[in-house]
Amino acid sequence: MSAENHLSRSGEERLYEELSRSNRVTTRWWYIGVAGLSAVVLWAVAVFVYQMMTGMGVTGLNLPVFWGMYIILFVFWIGVSHSGTLISAILRITRATWRAPVLRGAEAMTAFALLVGGLFPLIHLGRNWRFYYMIPYPNERGLWPNFRSPLMWDAAAIFTYLTGSTLFLYFGMIPDLALARDRSSGWRKTLYTILAAGFRGTHRQWRRYHVASTLFAILIIPVAVSVHSIVSWDFAMAKVPGWHSTIFAPYFVAGAIYSGIAAVITVMAVLRKMFRLEQSLTPKHFDNLGKLLLTMTLLWGYFYFSEFLTIWYGRLIEEWAVLSSYGKHYLPLFAVMVSCNFLIPLPLLCFRRIRRSIPALFVISLIVNVGMWTERALIIVPSLARRNDPFVWHNYFPSWVELSIFAGSIAFFALLYVLFSKIFPVMAVTDIKEQMFHTTDRAMGGVTMASVSHEPGEDET
Amino acid sequence: MKHRWAMVIDMDRCTGCGACVVACVAENNTPTVGEDEVEKGRIMHWLRVARYWKKELAEVRPVFLVVPCMQCQQAPCEIVCPVYATYHDEDHQINAMVYNRCVGTRYCANNCPYSVRKFNWFDHHWEKPLDEQLSPDLSVRSRGVMEKCTFCIQRLRRGDETAGKEGRKVRDGEVIPACAQTCPPGAIVFGDLLDPESKVSRVIENPRRFRLMEHLGTEPVVSYLKKLRGSGR
Amino acid sequence: MTDRGKTDLVVLGLFDSVEQAAKGACALRSLPLPAHDITTLSSVPLPDGAVCEDTAPIRFPWAVAAFWFVGAAAGLGLSLVTYLDYPLITAGKEIISVPPMIIVTYEIAMLGALLATLIGSFRSIGLARLKGRKARKVFDPRIHEGKIVLCARVEHGDEENRAIAAMKETGGLDVRAEEGEL
Repeated sequence: MSAENHLSRSGEERLYEELSRSNRVTTRWWYIGVAGLSAVVLWAVAVFVYQMMTGMGVTGLNLPVFWGMYIILFVFWIGVSHSGTLISAILRITRATWRAPVLRGAEAMTAFALLVGGLFPLIHLGRNWRFYYMIPYPNERGLWPNFRSPLMWDAAAIFTYLTGSTLFLYFGMIPDLALARDRSSGWRKTLYTILAAGFRGTHRQWRRYHVASTLFAILIIPVAVSVHSIVSWDFAMAKVPGWHSTIFAPYFVAGAIYSGIAAVITVMAVLRKMFRLEQSLTPKHFDNLGKLLLTMTLLWGYFYFSEFLTIWYGRLIEEWAVLSSYGKHYLPLFAVMVSCNFLIPLPLLCFRRIRRSIPALFVISLIVNVGMWTERALIIVPSLARRNDPFVWHNYFPSWVELSIFAGSIAFFALLYVLFSKIFPVMAVTDIKEQMFHTTDRAMGGVTMASVSHEPGEDET
Repeated sequence: MKHRWAMVIDMDRCTGCGACVVACVAENNTPTVGEDEVEKGRIMHWLRVARYWKKELAEVRPVFLVVPCMQCQQAPCEIVCPVYATYHDEDHQINAMVYNRCVGTRYCANNCPYSVRKFNWFDHHWEKPLDEQLSPDLSVRSRGVMEKCTFCIQRLRRGDETAGKEGRKVRDGEVIPACAQTCPPGAIVFGDLLDPESKVSRVIENPRRFRLMEHLGTEPVVSYLKKLRGSGR
Repeated sequence: MTDRGKTDLVVLGLFDSVEQAAKGACALRSLPLPAHDITTLSSVPLPDGAVCEDTAPIRFPWAVAAFWFVGAAAGLGLSLVTYLDYPLITAGKEIISVPPMIIVTYEIAMLGALLATLIGSFRSIGLARLKGRKARKVFDPRIHEGKIVLCARVEHGDEENRAIAAMKETGGLDVRAEEGEL
């Protein structure tokens, strides 16, 4: 490579060694971590089987609150899955130079959050074992599912998004898998050889690879937008006061991106600590993620206020019953939501010092996701608990079954991530290298600046 | 379209005794879930007598509203079911519920503004000899399945069968649901709107008539007659 | 293009930097060797024209667009067939309810496009070849140390020797000829 660029300065071997540490070195803590997470997941599975055999009555659900913790978690995890799409796809297309170290982590998060989130429609079914009635397959009774139902739109959308994001993740890994193939032996080498599918790195291959990556990124963004819109339409299509709102689609998408970025910050901070990636994941990256988070705080606040104002002002009697409950029984939840989503992050994220402090940003990202979980709870539960006929009003609180499965979902997500980081390259080595290859130092008078080159566009010479 | 069944509930005659509820439970294999489950909001009765308190000047009076399934003509519960477990029965112009197709997403229950749909939170058991009271004309629902008032469709179908065998139409009053049959003051009137001579076709013209939550556009076939106010009442 | 029976001969040489590799490529082109017979192996993508060019057109995006429409047709067909084959009235809506059809059509269209991107790009890049695996592809794992490998497809004999000489002169290391395909 050129003698001057950052890649040749740091050396590819050393870089690879640092970035692939998670694959090569397995400590005792990894085994303990996997054991602990697996135990929680297995407990949750056992609890789910208990629920399936006994009935949904083991949850805290009732009339009129027929949807509770499981649907909150469904929306929450699908929201978290928007992390990868935003970071990876949008930053790729806009050619943001700082994206490289965050790409793989974010893309993996999308796939895993979708996997976890996609389980909840199955978990919340009354007759889970008959879930296949929703699959449109020809059968001897001539039955088909009802595509007018938003739940079927969910099925189509989540299937498409899961397929797309898995392909996106896999495709993005191909050069790194090729690198790993050439640097490993034994079963790993076999695995990577198969997955790398013969990628060698010829000029022709790189050029087509770049076109395909861009195409994937362009395609996955509208899918992500449509997925969370469709999830929001599970509520917006219903005749439930507080749900039937036209703003739900963009509101939910904004909220999803918000919780997605917060989740990326959380995961990246953990990865950085665990695999000692301080050289690659610098405060500058977290500063930029923090700025994105700040933007989303504002956007979320804008959407929420619009929604709140409309209901408050119109004072339609059924909606008013729901909104009043925010000041009474649901006041603690409401206070938590507004604080965690807006009042705490907004002033803090305005300060560069805080954005560049990784511990501070980590805590803020957790607070944001607590706030976003609470926001989903506040959308789903009060609207059902205080709906049309006051005679049936009833509160809801999740039971130990729902809480176990909640814990299980977090553990499952973490477990998928831990296993992924052990077997697959968790840092986008090739993207990082490419970024460094294009970065040189340029002297401007008394200062030295990093200068990043990129291929000329069509209207440039 | 063989029938357009409709129901009119006269709130002036209704005393809130709850006999209709008991009749419905007896007719439709409805389980008794116990006090604890009722406290949790899991009552299984298809018909409810909702009691509201109305304050007028110095007086506080109860208002009894008997709420069966409205059998909406534009039923919001139908369109959200992903598996067509509920749809519009064209023969009887009511809302059909298919237990063995239901997968239990409970979306229909969320979309019902009248909250008439009930969910089987557990499997139910009838201790001997109570299991002998179960009607063979309809199923005992398993856990995970939605259910609701059907206007006693097993009776409607049996009526059609009997009349068909005898080569005639169903007579007015021949086929009525358990609640209408039992109501001591006769507050529940049930019949076929396609028959201009039927009692329900006359009663439904009453100027006291209103429907619940009409602004939602669900077109319920269950109407109510306003309670009469005035001296001596 | 070569005979089916014979495998190609490729001359490879390792270069330390883009500038040196560019000089080597220039020397090869002036041999003369056609541009489509010269390529590089590198661990990071090199800008087009830096060392060599990829002149062959990239066609698979058209396939992606085409399969978007195939997916749309599949989604449209799925919703239409399920509506008509099992016509039940729900909420008084017409049997052929259009807005849900739009949503399902869109999602399946995107699915078609995404799958076509993967399959089309694999074919274009030359990955996961199930047929023609017997042909050996040239490769050198030292690209991961930062080296750029310049490769040229040559005829046996004179062309081969001149290519090797050209690479050595411009600073190529471990210049050799191998049987294989670019």
